[in-house]
Amino acid sequence: MAVQVKVPSVGESITEVTIGSWHRKDGDTVQMDEVIADLESDKATFELRAPEAGVLKILKQEGETVPVGELICEIEPSGADGKSSGEPPKETPKKETPKKEEKAEAKAESPQPASAAEAQGKGGKVREMRVPAVGESITEVTLSTWLKKDGDRVELDEIIAEVESDKATFELPAEAAGILHIVAKEKETIPVGGLICTIDEVSDGAPAKVEKAPAPEASASEAHTYAAGHPSPAAAKILEEKGLKASDVKGTGRDGRITKEDAMQAQQPSKPAESGKAPAPQPAAVPAPAGARNTRREKMSSLRRTIARRLVSVKNETAMLTTFNEVDMKAIMDLRAQYKDKFKEKYGIGLGFMSFFTKAVCIALKEWPAVNAQIDGDDIIYHDYCDISIAVSTPRGLVVPVVRNADLLSFDQIESEIARLATKAREGKLSIDEMQGGTFSITNGGVFGSMLSTPIINPPQSAILGMHNIVERPVVKNKEIVIRPVMYVALSYDHRIIDGRESVSFLYRVKELLEDPGRLILGV
Amino acid sequence: MDYNVTIIGSGPGGYVAAIRCAQLGFKTALIEKYDTLGGTCLNVGCIPSKAMLDSSEHFANAKENFKAHGINVQGLKVDFAAMVARKADVVKQNVDGIAFLMKKNKVDVHHGIGSFVDKSTIKILAKDGSEKKITTEYVIIATGSKPTPLPFAPFDKKRIISSTEALELKEIPKHLIVIGGGVIGMELGSVYSRLGSKVTVVEFLDNLIPTMDGTLGKELQKVAKKMGMDIYLGHKVTSVNVKGKEVTVTAEDKQGKALELKGDYCLVSIGRQPYTEGLNLSAVGIGLDKGRIPVDEHLRTSVDNIYAIGDVIRGPMLAHKAEEEGVFVAERLAGQKPHINYLLIPGVVYTWPEVASVGYTEEQLKESGRAYKTGKFPYKALGRARASMDTDGLVKILADKNTDEILGVHIIGARAADMIAAGVTAMEFRAAAEDVARMSHAHPTYMEAVKEACLAATANRPIHI
Repeated sequence: MAVQVKVPSVGESITEVTIGSWHRKDGDTVQMDEVIADLESDKATFELRAPEAGVLKILKQEGETVPVGELICEIEPSGADGKSSGEPPKETPKKETPKKEEKAEAKAESPQPASAAEAQGKGGKVREMRVPAVGESITEVTLSTWLKKDGDRVELDEIIAEVESDKATFELPAEAAGILHIVAKEKETIPVGGLICTIDEVSDGAPAKVEKAPAPEASASEAHTYAAGHPSPAAAKILEEKGLKASDVKGTGRDGRITKEDAMQAQQPSKPAESGKAPAPQPAAVPAPAGARNTRREKMSSLRRTIARRLVSVKNETAMLTTFNEVDMKAIMDLRAQYKDKFKEKYGIGLGFMSFFTKAVCIALKEWPAVNAQIDGDDIIYHDYCDISIAVSTPRGLVVPVVRNADLLSFDQIESEIARLATKAREGKLSIDEMQGGTFSITNGGVFGSMLSTPIINPPQSAILGMHNIVERPVVKNKEIVIRPVMYVALSYDHRIIDGRESVSFLYRVKELLEDPGRLILGV
Repeated sequence: MDYNVTIIGSGPGGYVAAIRCAQLGFKTALIEKYDTLGGTCLNVGCIPSKAMLDSSEHFANAKENFKAHGINVQGLKVDFAAMVARKADVVKQNVDGIAFLMKKNKVDVHHGIGSFVDKSTIKILAKDGSEKKITTEYVIIATGSKPTPLPFAPFDKKRIISSTEALELKEIPKHLIVIGGGVIGMELGSVYSRLGSKVTVVEFLDNLIPTMDGTLGKELQKVAKKMGMDIYLGHKVTSVNVKGKEVTVTAEDKQGKALELKGDYCLVSIGRQPYTEGLNLSAVGIGLDKGRIPVDEHLRTSVDNIYAIGDVIRGPMLAHKAEEEGVFVAERLAGQKPHINYLLIPGVVYTWPEVASVGYTEEQLKESGRAYKTGKFPYKALGRARASMDTDGLVKILADKNTDEILGVHIIGARAADMIAAGVTAMEFRAAAEDVARMSHAHPTYMEAVKEACLAATANRPIHI
């Protein structure tokens, strides 16, 4: 088979290279490690060496720009006849000997896997179940509950476990009928593609007696030896002090061992842990000191870790600031008082403030499109639609389901949609789709009594509106002090793409629309 | 409080704990009953016995092996007084070294018997009868152990002796009877055997150095017999009687067949027991479990500010185990979270050839039902060993049958005590036998035997045999 030669990753910030020159022609026989081309990046020129001896097949021409990881040529290992052509003859015997040995070794080793396969063959096939790709931004999941026990017989599509990602909880159906062998333990975090369990497929009713390997770790997969995830003595001490488990860390040492450096760098547990299994779980609880000064140490949930990581990254990666205004809510409250019963009667849903705010925001977003935009690399993406993310507090943490095309929805449609999403959110049943792709967010700290706050942008969005409590305050109207229900509103925005004029005008526009709901109808 | 940490006992556990505490910024006190620091290990244990072992080894070499090396020596004889004096000098250098280290690390040393007044107050009774009290936040008990006497024949320290007296004899015994074929008995037995004593070892169990892998005991027995020692295994000592300069030891085997031995000295080396006398543990409510101080996994006693390490707690009575525990406790007090892997604390016997071992023994693996494989390589097949005429011994590697992970390294042979560190390293990193087999080992060295044994364990393919 031809060996594929791809653009190697040559530096952190280098994403593409230009082919400077080919040293060998298409069809040439090349030697292993021979320099076959010069590649140029914006930082340096470097040499591309042949990873194998054989016949070169050039796929990308000189002057072409090729991204890192893309195929640039193939090398067809020379057949038995063509082999010696390019090689000095004296080397031939030398090179052949080790090859023979390799073959011999391969043969010597082959009986093992073969016999293993045979053993499996008797009981049917073994189906490995891995973490499915559940969403674009999801790299790992936490196994929340096993519904079946190790060794249980499971049916095809039967729900065997519940899995939690930072966005949603979903159920895991068995991919085959047979005997379940659990690999990932409860509360374990597993990367997408990581092994969750295996199922020994059994066709008939009688569960085949499955030989239990003495070292179950060994069979997990080729990358997982018994030593994967084993911390060195120094690494073990560092991990313990950081309150991390070995399973939280990806070992870069031989066979996945955790080196001291791995442990020193293991600050963000967000790194997907590669090992599919946790080596001997360590007691996480810290012994309580005497007296009533107990502390508790709990592993952060996947959701919590994601929230933590993203909030910090927003602070670090955006130019975020907040502008404030106040809204006289009297008009809306009057309107609501007048129509809420009729509204409920007609639509079966209460008339809340959210529909007013959502509508007002949609109109303002159309007028100030930068607030509804987002940065993507060197580009700005403007959205001609309004997908409004609504922050919902749940026992598991904050989630932000999206009301799609909110600009096109009526008041009752908005209220029903928010009610539906909020219910699902509290039950932990939101799907990934329902949480992805908002263009602007609204958060209401007022429900908890907040007077004023500076919300944090929900990336990759560029702005978020913060609602607060409604308090009767003395305000001056027509040179008279009157008592009005007032809400302070805040708009946090990314100053990189939204200027002060736009953000302040946007928020003022929202205020205008809310203080005079007639404008909402007329769009003026 | 006068001190953050007070350590009672200055053996290898105590003085190492003191240094580590001082390094971590604790104001540290060290209490020692005797005039010199270093405890059993430095004064009457590891260091002096190694001094005597080396001296007697030189003599034995000169007597037995120099001729074959082409060196003729005439008028060879032992100046035993000089030998003991050199040993004393080695001890002095070492204990002075500890005193210097205490000064350097600003550890306050108090000489006297430390005892608890309450959990934060320690009374120190000096030799001259003067008393003082110090207060301390934490206490580490590191009082070590002492030789266990036979219940029916207490040490008279003249003819019925412990290891302590065996290192201070004024003459070379004519016939030394050693009761207990463990580490201490075999080490001191071989010292006097080399110096010309007739040595007879009586062991209750069926193997010498019975806590170690059986292969090692059997090999050691062969070597000891070659040296001229008489070994009686499976014999229970029933009486020890002293009459003038003569000691009579009677024993019987499992069938009840009696044995009578007459010698001029009897070394009782049946083990050591924790030493807690004078600590006044009852003042703080610490009880004992079979003589040992019970501790939790952080080596904390039942009193929250009192810790214990070394021979007074569970585990093998080894200086290096106590040292690890001293560091462990000091670091825990500083809020760090170190580990000790007790499986990987090596055991060493300083006979010649030396015996050293780490990890599981074959007996333990058999008992646990673990599938394992064995790789052995004899010193006889080693170029380095032939060059030095140290061809007794072997390396045995035990590895998991499925994963090839090294589960035990057992060595008897020249330099075994130094070589075992490589086994500890490999096992701490959970190396497979093939991993070690694929690492370059310098030639010619004794360590090549480890590589070869690993090759043998991997796929039974050693090169040089």
